[in-house]
Amino acid sequence: MLITCPYCGPRDVVEFTYQGDGNRTRPDPASTDLNAWNAYVYDRVNIAGDQNEIWQHSGGCRTHLAVTRNTLTHKISSVRSTHAEPPAPPKPARKKPRAKA
Amino acid sequence: MAETLSPLDTVLRAGRYANTAAKIGVTLSEVSPGSIVQVAAWPDTEAKVLEGIAKTTKLKLGGEPGAGAVSGNVAAFGIAPGRFLVISEDEGLADRLLGAIPATVGSVTDLSHGRTAIRIEGEKAEWLLAKFFAVDFSKAKFPVGRGVSTNHHDVFAQIQRRTENCFEVYVFRSFARSFWKALCHGAEENGYEVR
Amino acid sequence: MSAIRIASGGRIDRSRAINFRFDGQAYTGHPGDTLASALLANGVTLFGRSFKYHRPRGLLTAGVDEPNALVTVLRDSVREPNVPATTVELYEGLVAESQNRFPSLQFDVSAVNQFAGKFIGAGFYYKTFMGPEFGPLKGTRFWMLCEHFIRRAAGLGRAGLAPDKSRYQRMNAFCDVLVVGSGPAGLSAAAAAADQGANVMLAEIDSRFGGSANWSGETIDGTPASAWASEAVAQLAKRSNVRMLNRTSVWGYYDTNTIAALERVTDHKPMGASGEPRHRHWNIRAGSVVLATGAFERPIVFPGNDRPGVMLASGAMRYANEFGVRTGERIAIFTNNDTAYGAALALKRTGASIVAIVDVRRDASEKARHAASECSAELLTGYAVTATRGGKMLDGIEVQPFDGQRVSGAARKIDADCLLVSGGWSPAIHLASQAGSRPVWDETLQAFLPPQPTENWVGAGAFNGAFQTADAIAEGHAAGLAATGGTNARKLTPPMVEGFAGEPNPAPVFEIKGKGKGKAFVDFQHDVTADDVRLAYTEGFTSAEHLKRYTTLGMATDQGKTSNVPGMAIMAEATGKPIPEVGSTRFRPPFAPVSVGSLAAERFGDLKPERLTPMHDWHLEHGATMYSAGLWFRPMIYGAKGETVEQAYVREAKVVREGVGIVDVSTLGKIAVQGPDAGEFLDRVYTNMFSTLPVGKARYGLMLREDGFAFDDGTTWRLGETEFLMTTTTANAGKVMQQLEYFLDVVWPDLRVHVTSVTDQWAGAAIAGPLSRKVLEACVQGTKVDNDALPFMGIVHGTIDGVNVMICRLSFSGELAYEVYCGANEGTRVWEALMAAGKPFAIVPYGLEALGTLRIEKGHVTGAEIDGRTTARDLHLDWMLSKKKPFIGSAMMDREGLVDENRLQLVGIVPLDNRPINGGAHIVEQLHEDHPMNSIGHVTAMCYSPALGKYIALALVKGGKARRGTRAYVSDPLRKRFGPVEIVSHHFFDPDGSRMHG
Ligand SMILES: [Zn+2]
Repeated sequence: MLITCPYCGPRDVVEFTYQGDGNRTRPDPASTDLNAWNAYVYDRVNIAGDQNEIWQHSGGCRTHLAVTRNTLTHKISSVRSTHAEPPAPPKPARKKPRAKA
Repeated sequence: MAETLSPLDTVLRAGRYANTAAKIGVTLSEVSPGSIVQVAAWPDTEAKVLEGIAKTTKLKLGGEPGAGAVSGNVAAFGIAPGRFLVISEDEGLADRLLGAIPATVGSVTDLSHGRTAIRIEGEKAEWLLAKFFAVDFSKAKFPVGRGVSTNHHDVFAQIQRRTENCFEVYVFRSFARSFWKALCHGAEENGYEVR
Repeated sequence: MSAIRIASGGRIDRSRAINFRFDGQAYTGHPGDTLASALLANGVTLFGRSFKYHRPRGLLTAGVDEPNALVTVLRDSVREPNVPATTVELYEGLVAESQNRFPSLQFDVSAVNQFAGKFIGAGFYYKTFMGPEFGPLKGTRFWMLCEHFIRRAAGLGRAGLAPDKSRYQRMNAFCDVLVVGSGPAGLSAAAAAADQGANVMLAEIDSRFGGSANWSGETIDGTPASAWASEAVAQLAKRSNVRMLNRTSVWGYYDTNTIAALERVTDHKPMGASGEPRHRHWNIRAGSVVLATGAFERPIVFPGNDRPGVMLASGAMRYANEFGVRTGERIAIFTNNDTAYGAALALKRTGASIVAIVDVRRDASEKARHAASECSAELLTGYAVTATRGGKMLDGIEVQPFDGQRVSGAARKIDADCLLVSGGWSPAIHLASQAGSRPVWDETLQAFLPPQPTENWVGAGAFNGAFQTADAIAEGHAAGLAATGGTNARKLTPPMVEGFAGEPNPAPVFEIKGKGKGKAFVDFQHDVTADDVRLAYTEGFTSAEHLKRYTTLGMATDQGKTSNVPGMAIMAEATGKPIPEVGSTRFRPPFAPVSVGSLAAERFGDLKPERLTPMHDWHLEHGATMYSAGLWFRPMIYGAKGETVEQAYVREAKVVREGVGIVDVSTLGKIAVQGPDAGEFLDRVYTNMFSTLPVGKARYGLMLREDGFAFDDGTTWRLGETEFLMTTTTANAGKVMQQLEYFLDVVWPDLRVHVTSVTDQWAGAAIAGPLSRKVLEACVQGTKVDNDALPFMGIVHGTIDGVNVMICRLSFSGELAYEVYCGANEGTRVWEALMAAGKPFAIVPYGLEALGTLRIEKGHVTGAEIDGRTTARDLHLDWMLSKKKPFIGSAMMDREGLVDENRLQLVGIVPLDNRPINGGAHIVEQLHEDHPMNSIGHVTAMCYSPALGKYIALALVKGGKARRGTRAYVSDPLRKRFGPVEIVSHHFFDPDGSRMHG
């Protein structure tokens, strides 16, 4: 499996360390909502398909990457630095009004 | 600098080794630069850090990943987004860089003792590196000056192409002796010289 | 079968002889020979005994698909079993032996197994050894009884016990185009891709490039095909953008076009050159791959089809054309397609007589008829071979009329010492199958063709079903261009290919059911017969994957290269379904056997990296016994002559309590934490405050994990307003670094903080004991070190022996102590200066054991207690949990289960019989030495305490705090250590800390 690090280029998976689920959001540090913390620390979905993951390029530039990987095929559809803004969600395709013939 | 000890002192013996019937494929040596310094920018200060490096070393680095430059007794290359390794034969580079790069612009970390620099030179240098690192070192993909961060199992390495057939590899000091032995072992089939 | 070497032809060099031995007997062969061709040239036709039935077996093929002729190659004291003789290149002094026979190949006592065929048919193991025990001889107990005999009787070669001293290496390679296979298609593809300026790699499994061009007997543009190939190879070799690897099997196709290949570098040499690896594992990342892997001929299944002397037509043709070996004198052909007629012609040219061509088809093509008459062979169309005769060697066949379904009529006997069989061709789609989806059945070729690419590859030649050489060359050219995405292609002038090239399209005949009771083999290597396949059907194992596992068809070392399609076809007939509905199993790596050594490569023996501290050599010179802690090497004790480990550490620890000692602490993880927000960051990371720490001071810190459990501890020093030096435990340095990087990258990207590992930048020595300050006073320049200048947790900068040092007053031992840091390259120099300054005070170096003893006496925790299951409270570190700020783990640490009073808590243990106890021993309330008892905890660390004059231990005990002052027992049944203990506070020594503050 290769992961294309935005800085280092395509590298073998052995250079990377899996750093967990990419979907979780950390509650406000001062929050005492145990359910929210519990969800953040423990709740994981086990997706058969595209999954958001965090990988660290520990054997390279050491940055953390937000990776979307298909758990069935290992196909990686997107990689970005966690510092970079996530790509805007795809807009619903709007049909162009057809020119009248 | 006071009298120092390299981790390679007890294993580095000048001479020609192994398959010397063949042409010597690579020459291995330890470079002892006076300074190895990491400079790192904040997300919005990379240009200022590059300015600081240029002011201190006269090296102009491009913005692309791994971009590097070599000139006289100084060299530098990108090792991570906004991070650069700057090497000089002279001591005291960290202090000079600190003068040009205040904390608001970035951080300067002296690694002069923490990294050991090994030079791999010769016709088989690319071949030898290919035994350890899954990185394309061909001239087209890895031109002179370019640097890379990678690893060989537990040994983390930062590598810069100095000339067409010469690479410098920076490894953690504690791993240097093991890595040196592995390099020599890997170089045996081509015949190697230690300087 | 009376095989001999013919006078001319082939790639062998008859002017030079090579001596070798097989089963103890001396033979000679020639450069260019394989072990198989050389033995055959010497008239050897019996190569081994089969897997289950110990039947005599000869050569079936001439290549990597060989299922029968497995040999053991002996080199020095190393045995390499199960190597096909067809892939062993001859070298001077080669020694090999046959396998699976006792006492000899000619006479094998286990050959009686073949008469017990019913007994060990398909599913034998499952039926005999699994399931409930009905009687004394059923089920797993029966297996245990029989295992020894079965393992000995059924099996392949015997592995050796001698260590393999060969070296193996791993190479990484990158290319635009990887061409697999160097037959006409592959050569043409490589040339086309190279013309486009692409960076090309060409891999050939054989020693010689050229593939079928080496034995087809054709001419290409008027040149013999083998010469055409040599010229093409020479042209490629001249180009700087082409890397050519022969003796290289591409065995694995992994995702994102990562390819695994094995290059056999020295297997063909009497001795490798200095430093040369035996095998090279190539890890290739290819932009695109051209698969030009050709096709394998497959046998027809009929009774007695495994008798030595029965071989594939293409195999015999290769022996004739490539190795100059005639496989027999009186040769019969048995085929369902036209290609075998080419073999007949080739063998005819060696001087053999072709006694009969038995073709299952009612009509043979015009071309075939012509070839038959050219061979002066009797052509028997609409016939099939129904039996073979002979003992360990073929001496005749029986044929009967065949209507495409069944045989009938009287059997006719034909004398023949060699029978060449062709049951059609199966494209070698293994790599494509590994890379993706299921293959597609082709009715015309009666074969599985490669699936649609799911990775970036292009096929060419016989791999694609293009069997004619001219087509293969054209396809190769197109594939080479497609692989580069090239457009400005030079047009290929189609070559003129001449020679007999039969169409490979076979009649759909896979098996002949004879009336005789001879076994008809499908998988020769695993001794799977047509009846076994039908038995699997009867018992309900009908899918391709079930068939494979139930009968082990295709699971031998040849991976079913010759047996897969016939097996599917027989199952299809049994189920009444078409072949594609039975399916084809997905091929998995490796395509051909891979040496385990090549996978381990350089990560082996003393090449496992060692991490050494700057003072490593000093420790060795001064008698240290080293201890490996992770990858680090640290002194365990500096033992004097005649001292036991315990005597040594007790002496060392005592000196620290009474005088002064010095220990190497360079392995502690050190992380530079820099930036305007460094203080704020540390407040979030540690349970206690760091932003308030003044410059020039250090503080002990504790980190939790997100889930609220304890993670790591250490001191962090404030070196400047925006600069901290964090220390971690040796073991957790990497994990702490990753946690810090994760939070900076993912959770708090807005913080302006950089973390950098500086573990290797600093050498560290801890100098401890009541006299430690005196030692520093004697050698430190540029700063005072008295209590005012350097109070507890203070930091000063100065020099020792001219070297800049940073000194922090902190203590792990509980004594007055300092940590002295300097640049790693100057570590030994400073260490020696400290030793010299300490000499008047009788300073001693101490190791990990003494360090451990001192900390146990003080009740300090390490990784043995911070084991991932303990909380700060369990370890009595709750005083470090700030209530003024949130920190990592603060939200989760107060969960009900984590504040339970009955959790395992840190306590001290004193064995009342004053004998040592081991880490891991259980603490129990009631002692019953013969029965398991409820454990209330376990011992984490133990030592003999010189300060207390007795053995002491630390333990984690349920509700331990409340049990202080009570009795319990230690129970260690494995080591037979039982006895009464007292549970006490973990602060054994100097609980108020007066010594280190003094
Ligand atoms: Zn990277």
